[in-house]
Amino acid sequence: MAIERIDPELCNGCGICVKICPMDVFRMDRKSKKAVITYPEDCMLCEFCVLDCPTNAITVTPEKSSPLLVSWG
Amino acid sequence: MPAAKVVETDVLIVGGGIAGLFAAIKAKEQGVVVTLVDKGYAGKSGQTPFAGSYSVFNPEWGDDLAAWVEQVSRVGQYVNNREWTEIAFKESYARYQDLVSWGVEFRKNEDGTLFRSESMLGPCRAAHMGAKVFAELMRKQAVKRGVKLMDRIMVTDLLKQDGRIVGVIGIPMESYDIYVFRVKATVLCSGAGGFKPWGWPISALTADGDAMAYRAGAEITGKEFADTHPTGAEHPAYLGFAKRMSGGPRRGKQLNAEGNEITGRGTLFLDMEFEAHAGRAPVYSQMPDGEKSVRIGGASSGMSVHKAEGIWPVDTSCATSLSGLYAAGDALGTMQMGAVYGAIGCALGGSSVTGTIAGVAAAGYAKQAEKLEIDDQEVSRIKKIVQAPAERKGGFSPRWVTQVLQNTMMPYFILYIKKEDRMRAALTITEFLRDHMAPKIFARDPHELRLALETKNMILNAEMRLRASLFRTESRGCHYREDYPRRDDANWLAWVLLQEENSEMKVFKQPVPQEWRPDLSQPYEQRYPWRLPGE
Repeated sequence: MAIERIDPELCNGCGICVKICPMDVFRMDRKSKKAVITYPEDCMLCEFCVLDCPTNAITVTPEKSSPLLVSWG
Repeated sequence: MPAAKVVETDVLIVGGGIAGLFAAIKAKEQGVVVTLVDKGYAGKSGQTPFAGSYSVFNPEWGDDLAAWVEQVSRVGQYVNNREWTEIAFKESYARYQDLVSWGVEFRKNEDGTLFRSESMLGPCRAAHMGAKVFAELMRKQAVKRGVKLMDRIMVTDLLKQDGRIVGVIGIPMESYDIYVFRVKATVLCSGAGGFKPWGWPISALTADGDAMAYRAGAEITGKEFADTHPTGAEHPAYLGFAKRMSGGPRRGKQLNAEGNEITGRGTLFLDMEFEAHAGRAPVYSQMPDGEKSVRIGGASSGMSVHKAEGIWPVDTSCATSLSGLYAAGDALGTMQMGAVYGAIGCALGGSSVTGTIAGVAAAGYAKQAEKLEIDDQEVSRIKKIVQAPAERKGGFSPRWVTQVLQNTMMPYFILYIKKEDRMRAALTITEFLRDHMAPKIFARDPHELRLALETKNMILNAEMRLRASLFRTESRGCHYREDYPRRDDANWLAWVLLQEENSEMKVFKQPVPQEWRPDLSQPYEQRYPWRLPGE
């Protein structure tokens, strides 16, 4: 759904996706030294991460759903 | 709380889209210290990375300036600012040459000359870039010249002292630090704003520049002219924008649910919304090969037509009414295109031109201005407001408040097919969000603090749109009112301005100069050949 996965086998920890995402979706995990999808709800499917990832580790799909509207949140 | 991180600069550029990058490069060439700060990554921000059409006007190629301006004025329904329409065309060739010199490739004809697509509406033509990497090439040029780039910092507020903008406050994405930029001149290139709509990848554009400038006392304009870009209904949030090459618009026939073709006016308009409102949705786009897809309006919900919304310029140097504050690109309300966007390529083209003008002007201001000491108390005051959501233990999440705002504002019958009673209903909710919800938004981490501040700016944008739309009691271009379906030239050849006064949003109008008005002796039906529903 939107930003879906970073393949940990392919991610080389370059940090490009963290730097370029306009919506601040990613963080670098200090232990694994790889990028982690941290705020997937904010992905706007621009695919900059997919285009610039040097190892093609990132998957973005066209589906985006929004949460159910609840009384307060 | 740790002390603020202070950044000293002569000129601060806020926003790294095409306007900001031109502003930074051109300011730096004037020999001043330039810093460019972006909420994300300069060169991949705003609408810039998705665009590729580029307006190029050149009298040496036989282009007639008066005829090009006439197209924009006619299609823009006579509320374009002709000074800006002209400046944007006249300066476009020099900006095109800049881009070429920086390695940007444009589509060529077979004989090697520049390819320019034509318009159905008149003589205006636009060039097209190939792969969409031009902004990255510009970023390299900025770095090469010594522009200091600071990415992943959201600028939240302007610091005003003695009527002058002396500094700017920002928050980084991964900590609760506060940045204070101590500046001589600032150029807001923060782009347009929306409600984080589906369809267009513009969720980082939350009209931050308009909000900051408004809070500091500047006038804002153009909020009533809604952008009408559509998206696909099957995957409304995905358009594969970044991958697409630019070659000019691909448009199929538009059909309503009854199979009848919807009249295209040759430019983006409210045709689909009229069909939906009349009960004739779904609307289909049918390509020449027969492929049909369902289309939905509101891809850019919350945004105005290019060059309409933004901070009101007080002269042709891109200065605002706040000393030391300039604006450029979609953050500057030049009204270059009027009430309808009538010639492609003018978005990137116009932003390049105003970015350049503002960058040079800001550098000129910086050279003769003194850098003032910033009042620590004012910094503390703003810091407290900015960080308040992070200080709360509970309240409302920025995502939920945004969702409520979207549910209130996005249905087509609020800002596309307008009527007083519905707008007042939406305004009642918007005011409640502003007064009750916004102060109780809480952030669990620095990322959510950004979301909280964006939500507050979106609520302000919604209020601006509703008040401007209620004030303009007529229809004109992409501002359509069911209760006032006619163009009222006697009263409304004017621009609507918004300004904060005693904590209230004051709404007033500024007339279009006499010389730019259409010939009022010409019958109404000739001045405005397209009939609107209810006329």
